[in-house]
Amino acid sequence: MLTAFHPLPKLTVCLVWIAASVLVFDAGFQLAVIALVAFLLVAVERRSPLLVIVLMLPFALFGAGFLTTSVLFGEESAYAERMAGEALFGSGAVAPGIVLFLRAVACGMVSALFALTTDPAGLVKALMLHARLSPRIAHALFAAMLLVPDLASQAQQIRLARAMRTGRPPRRIPGPVETASLVVPLLAFAIRRAGRAAIAMETRGLAGGRPRTVVGAPRVRRRDGLCGAAAILLLAAVLALA
Amino acid sequence: MTCAPPAPDSAAAQWRGVTVRYPFRGADAVGPVSLELRRGERVLLLGPTGCGKSTLLNALTGIVPGIVPAHVGGEVSVGGLPAAARLPSGWSADVARLFQDADQTLCGLRVGDEIAFALENRAVPEPEIVRRVTGAMRQAGLPEAMRDRRVATLSGGEKQLVALAATIAQEVPLFLADEPTAHLAPAAAERFRSFMLGSFRARSFLVIDHRVDELVACFDRVVVMAADGRIAADGSPRALFRGRYRDLAALGIALPAAAELDALLSDAGLAPARPPLTVSEALAGIGLGKAAAAAPVIRAFVDDRTAPAGAADGEPVVRLEEAVCAPLFGKPVLNGITLELRRGEAVAILGANGAGKSTLGASLAGLLRLAGGRREGPPGGMAFQNPENQFVAGSVIEELADAQDKALSPGDRREAARRDLHAWRLDGLEDLHPFELSQGQKRRLALATLAAARRFSLIVLDEPTAGLDARGIADVAALIAGLRARGRAVAVITHDTGFALKACRRAVIIVGGAMLADGSAQHLLSDPLLIDYAGLAPPPIAPALSWLERHAPC
Repeated sequence: MLTAFHPLPKLTVCLVWIAASVLVFDAGFQLAVIALVAFLLVAVERRSPLLVIVLMLPFALFGAGFLTTSVLFGEESAYAERMAGEALFGSGAVAPGIVLFLRAVACGMVSALFALTTDPAGLVKALMLHARLSPRIAHALFAAMLLVPDLASQAQQIRLARAMRTGRPPRRIPGPVETASLVVPLLAFAIRRAGRAAIAMETRGLAGGRPRTVVGAPRVRRRDGLCGAAAILLLAAVLALA
Repeated sequence: MTCAPPAPDSAAAQWRGVTVRYPFRGADAVGPVSLELRRGERVLLLGPTGCGKSTLLNALTGIVPGIVPAHVGGEVSVGGLPAAARLPSGWSADVARLFQDADQTLCGLRVGDEIAFALENRAVPEPEIVRRVTGAMRQAGLPEAMRDRRVATLSGGEKQLVALAATIAQEVPLFLADEPTAHLAPAAAERFRSFMLGSFRARSFLVIDHRVDELVACFDRVVVMAADGRIAADGSPRALFRGRYRDLAALGIALPAAAELDALLSDAGLAPARPPLTVSEALAGIGLGKAAAAAPVIRAFVDDRTAPAGAADGEPVVRLEEAVCAPLFGKPVLNGITLELRRGEAVAILGANGAGKSTLGASLAGLLRLAGGRREGPPGGMAFQNPENQFVAGSVIEELADAQDKALSPGDRREAARRDLHAWRLDGLEDLHPFELSQGQKRRLALATLAAARRFSLIVLDEPTAGLDARGIADVAALIAGLRARGRAVAVITHDTGFALKACRRAVIIVGGAMLADGSAQHLLSDPLLIDYAGLAPPPIAPALSWLERHAPC
């Protein structure tokens, strides 16, 4: 359902919610944001709860850093935590380390909501149409996205070639020395591939400063405005209750 | 920049006394070349690897020197306008180009976006773009349902068709293609052929290719460049391939199989009156009652293009039993593979793009752990599709020395490396970094290092002829014959059925995650139904094999 909305109003709403998570130092508010986004992703968007948990791992690890710092180095971090707790809309009811942890996860949840419900092609086209994103940058991004799987496949071939020289099958996870030795050949591959793609794009008429059609860019409709307003009202309601 | 209108009867493209010299090079990469492509004409440009064919195309729309720095002498024009009159991007309404590795130059996230890209850049109205994208998809054989699919999820063959559709959608008067069939799957190559023939002279075509059998009948004219970057021959295909066959063969360029057969038939006084462009035409031209006289000639032609018999019952080198093969970190792509390779045997592994041929090759060499089943035999060596992936040293000579027998002294290894340099025509390149070599040179170096490593009793070659000219391909065929003679087993992964026949007595065909057939390469590749089902192109000599079966069975 959320995928049907125009990416730019959705991006604006998500940024407002993230800003609120950053400014409001209150565990209840952060929990409300997490619960609301989890509900939207799992119940409305039918995303796997496991996927949501996996996506939150880096944010949780980041938040856990705050938590462990506040527990293990309470005295050293007391000043910073006090400052955070005294921030705008702050509430000192819950340990600041926990609030910081929840804040990292809440920001991550809102980001995941946007990423999982937005077509990247639609977003980039909307940015080209409404935010003057240069088509050179936009299509370079697309080409880079197509390069990623090819880079992975190249890395695998190089690992197999190295394994052939040593006479042993490659390990599932490459060690640090092996990883470092992959950098130069992969960089050479990426540079050559990028050069070829750039020439191909230029040959097909990509140039800056000329009028250009953008086919299939998402159109802003009335419902986008209505939903955006509803999301902001919902945020105000959550803030009032928190 | 201002542009004068083109002259009404101007050529579609013209090079007059053109030379191209890249920075820090002592000699011209091209030229001087004078060449004209007339409106509605279809021209095939042939030449050995590195003779400057692609540079000539790049000069036409100003890629050289506009994007790639070089000094360009002489005059280059498109439709009567100087190439320098516009930026390279300014020619997209007049010239479309299908690049080598077209599937690696995509820049749209979805199929529809990719095909629409050039039209968007020209600010064509959206409804018109939608109409042209629909038409181009139909011409390229892409189903409408594919329009919204992400390009990253397509197979290699599908990406090639998308690249073809993207150039068709441009609807321009001049179409350039750089080795279109070298990387195109047979279905895509057939679509390209239909597109050329279906253009009804509305546009001109200039095509560079090394594999000429599939397309040669489509062209009005053939232009041949020599290794020095100059035009060596220019004429109609029929007249040129008959009249200049021996000169052209000496240049090391790929020639149609029909031209060789025609030369053999001419020597025997049996040549058809009209010079043939396909093997079928040459055979049809053999007069009534002359089959018996022609049979030895056809037999010699076929023998030259099929692998000689070797020790058929050498001891097994490697065996896969009920193997389940999967790429690194990937899900299984092949199931239930039972395959044994013996000493002195060369086996072609054939299949369409994405069939799992490379995974099977790496599993045979013991480089990939099997997800199921058993593998017996020592580890093998493998030459990968991208030769760069094999290089570990800082110079060509170090790369070769590193590959020699480790039991030798450093001096002996270097000496052996120097011998290999000469044997693989890499003289003068010893101090260059392997990444600085041309594609053909890189492939030769990769094969040389593999051949030098004596410890492998099994060698797997993954698409060893990609990017090579006729001489390079002959080198690879000789390498395989040499390896067989030294008692090694060789597996050749290829989609070039002509080369498979030339190099291997035995073939296995992979379809749908399983081994569909295993047997005599000649027998399997003479079966049109099997070839079609496997998504392969029939070998150029297939009509000669059928002819022999009918007129002179063994």
